[in-house]
Amino acid sequence: MIKNNARSKTSTIITIVVLAIIVALIYVLAFTGVFSSNLMRILLNICLYASFAVMWNLMAGYAGLTSLGNQAFIGLAGYACAVMCTTYGFGIWVAMLVGGLVCAVLAVILAFALMRMRGMYFAVATWVAAEALKTAFQNWKFVKEGAGMTVKIKPYPTNAEIFALAFGCFIVCMVVVYLLLKSKTGLGLKAMRDDADAASSIGVNIFGSRLLCYVVCGFLTGVAGVIMYISKGSIFPGGGFAIDWTIKIVFIVIIGGIGTAAGPVLGAIIYTLLYEVLAQFAGFTNIVLGIVAIVVIVVLPKGIIGSLENRFKFEILSQRRKSLE
Amino acid sequence: MIQQIIYGILYGGVFALAAIGMSMMFGIVGLTNLAHGEFIILAAFLSSVLCTALGCSPFLTLIITVPVMFIVGFILQKVLINYVMGKGANAALLVTFGLSFILKDGMLQIFSADSRRMVVAFQSANIRISDSVVIPVLYLVVCLIGVAVIVILHLFMSKTYVGQSIRATSDDKVAAQLVGVNIKNVTAVAMGIALATAAVSGLTLGMPWPFYATSGSGYLLIAFGVVVLGGMGSMIGALVGGVIFGLAQVLGGSNWGVFISYIILLIFLAVRPQGLFKK
Repeated sequence: MIKNNARSKTSTIITIVVLAIIVALIYVLAFTGVFSSNLMRILLNICLYASFAVMWNLMAGYAGLTSLGNQAFIGLAGYACAVMCTTYGFGIWVAMLVGGLVCAVLAVILAFALMRMRGMYFAVATWVAAEALKTAFQNWKFVKEGAGMTVKIKPYPTNAEIFALAFGCFIVCMVVVYLLLKSKTGLGLKAMRDDADAASSIGVNIFGSRLLCYVVCGFLTGVAGVIMYISKGSIFPGGGFAIDWTIKIVFIVIIGGIGTAAGPVLGAIIYTLLYEVLAQFAGFTNIVLGIVAIVVIVVLPKGIIGSLENRFKFEILSQRRKSLE
Repeated sequence: MIQQIIYGILYGGVFALAAIGMSMMFGIVGLTNLAHGEFIILAAFLSSVLCTALGCSPFLTLIITVPVMFIVGFILQKVLINYVMGKGANAALLVTFGLSFILKDGMLQIFSADSRRMVVAFQSANIRISDSVVIPVLYLVVCLIGVAVIVILHLFMSKTYVGQSIRATSDDKVAAQLVGVNIKNVTAVAMGIALATAAVSGLTLGMPWPFYATSGSGYLLIAFGVVVLGGMGSMIGALVGGVIFGLAQVLGGSNWGVFISYIILLIFLAVRPQGLFKK
């Protein structure tokens, strides 16, 4: 037993060291200009989509809250970024912080308004909230109504810097979700997802745990959204609050494996590469994504990672607790 | 003001019809069909194409679109959705979500992003009530169609064998099976009926307002709102919900009407999620 424990500790340390070396290597490669600008763009998209997907997965895969309204966070963050940078002249760090905080506040408001609902009621209610925000921004003079806003920062960050931010954001998302799920709250969350009544009866604070997940999701989706719009350079209400964001996120998580740690990351890589391939068939992207998603739900309901883990009995970044016996 | 209220009420019948198929699937089969809006628009395109090709009145296209949509719904439910409904809580929800954007982008490819509209002879005819108040004939007709479809559906569900077996299945699946109802077929028939109402709804939405390949999600949210306001599975609820939504859109004006109706919906969801007329 003690031996086992020591061995698992050493293996954890080795894992952390290996991951740290990979992270450092990616940063070095990014800033020494080894990556071509095209590769950098693809990696940037992978990091941002993976961040969005990891956060959506935290809600749908662990907290049992299937949201179709995470585009509300992305659009709001984009506007927070444009207003902070262009209107008030702040830098990117302030924009990221404000973007995250505004989205966290939105998450708290939505949580109190919507979290009594179950399943599809919650799903569509979050969508309605995002659409309401879209129409509000389309008619709000301060953010230039439907004309949209550009993001002006002096000096504008280079591609390598934006990628570095996105990669950092992705790492933070992974670590936060890992620690959250490894904690007592995470144990409660999984108990709750499997059986809400039973979990509640043994003292899991359902509302509190879900609220925490929602706020974490709002904050980090917001930060990733700000980085997304720094890289895009302009925001429009129709694009920022578009359901297309959720389509992409849902696709990514379903393909990779809902409720798995590595699923959203693999999904984001597949999505981004597929998108590059499909770019020459503009207009057919969503059709292909939809068909692939439906086929995966029918054939591999646990997604690629989930099915592999089931088949070969392993778990990447497992948040399982070791039994004490 | 009175004029606006008349418009709001007339819109209500049309919105109620858009919602009724979705409401039925919610209440009876327990399926949230996120592609319902796209099916409505698909039916509208079908009507519009037939109307141009055959040179007939838009109303006559229903003879083709209603059976076609029924068959589409029946097959879809039988082959795909029944299969995924047993696989976890959200599998069916996400499959219909996938269907919705396949249909949307498919229609964009086939019918382009341009707006379409079906024109009838009495497009701008009015019944004069007083100097400032008129009842537009087109809106009156589409509203009456909506109410008629809902009433017929109500009678169908309560009086016929098929309707009763659909309701029996929604009350108790096992008991319904015991008395000889084939529940797999029942859900497929229910979906067929839901899409048949979508066919009529496409016509009633496509005559007064222009529609685009991308209009589906807007109508889906209206339909969802009507269902939530009225209570799922409730036919009278759908009519009342439709009128509330219609009034909110008309009185709020073109800029803020949609926003106001969404906010009403969110408040309603938070306060009374079971709807005005709980079944």
